[in-house]
Amino acid sequence: MEEQKKLTGHEPYQPTTLGIDSRKLGIWVFLASEAVFFSGLIATYLIVTVRSTQGPYPNEVLSLPLVSVNTFVLIASSLAMVIALSNAEENKIHRTVIWLIVTAVLGLVFLGGQVYEFIHLFHNGLTLDQNLFGASFYTLTGTHGLHVLSGIIWIILVIFQLLKFRGDASQAAMKVELTGLYWHFVDLIWIIIFTVVYLLYT
Amino acid sequence: MAVVYKKDEKAAKKRPNYVLVFIALAVLTVIEVAVVQFPLPRAPILIALSIIKAALVALFYMHLRSDSRIFSALFGLGIILGIAMVISFVLLINTPFGNDH
Repeated sequence: MEEQKKLTGHEPYQPTTLGIDSRKLGIWVFLASEAVFFSGLIATYLIVTVRSTQGPYPNEVLSLPLVSVNTFVLIASSLAMVIALSNAEENKIHRTVIWLIVTAVLGLVFLGGQVYEFIHLFHNGLTLDQNLFGASFYTLTGTHGLHVLSGIIWIILVIFQLLKFRGDASQAAMKVELTGLYWHFVDLIWIIIFTVVYLLYT
Repeated sequence: MAVVYKKDEKAAKKRPNYVLVFIALAVLTVIEVAVVQFPLPRAPILIALSIIKAALVALFYMHLRSDSRIFSALFGLGIILGIAMVISFVLLINTPFGNDH
């Protein structure tokens, strides 16, 4: 009887028949589906916000200075992430970990800013069930915030993996690259949300 | 044995200037905020600026410029579907059929 080889979970990843890494292909398919998902939320926001029949309205409660600073923080976190990837590609694991920590901290600062904004809006009478603007605003920005939180958790997991990592440098770089793709996508979506939610209506 | 991809190696060697991309993103954000303060045609300028910023992130930070075209095609398909959804929803709701006013 042929003996079955037990899988350890550390087998090398096989290329697809297209000659590209199956993990990267997977993450790009996921990001494409996420783009459609966020488009649905953005479309909903555009449609229902202008139909709010009672206040508060976007131009009455949204704070552009706070969100502009938050936008800079997220853009800076993307820079930290690509620097982490550059270091990972050069097999500088410790530097990679440091830049990943910087990325996660900037992500947390962004989330802190968002929580502060939500509290400020809540005190100004904008709740989830106050009007159509409130419902669509919290759904869109809250969903994005949850994505940032997921990204931070992912980064922390990769940091722990890298600290224990003793394998091939290209595999470490791939872990960082996949995390980075997700993180940059979250940044890209925020660029659109910043324009649609905060700049067009304030 | 780890699988090494030639395109990945090539991309790693020819890295874009990430700091320059960051500065461009920051400057464009400042311009966006400034546009809101002046009586300018807001929507076309802001939409154009946000498309440029999103493209910078996708091309340089997500490496679509140097990576396999398959990834660009996949992601582009998602973006096109998304944009089509936004446009069709907004147009549909503003027609006499969709307008409840």
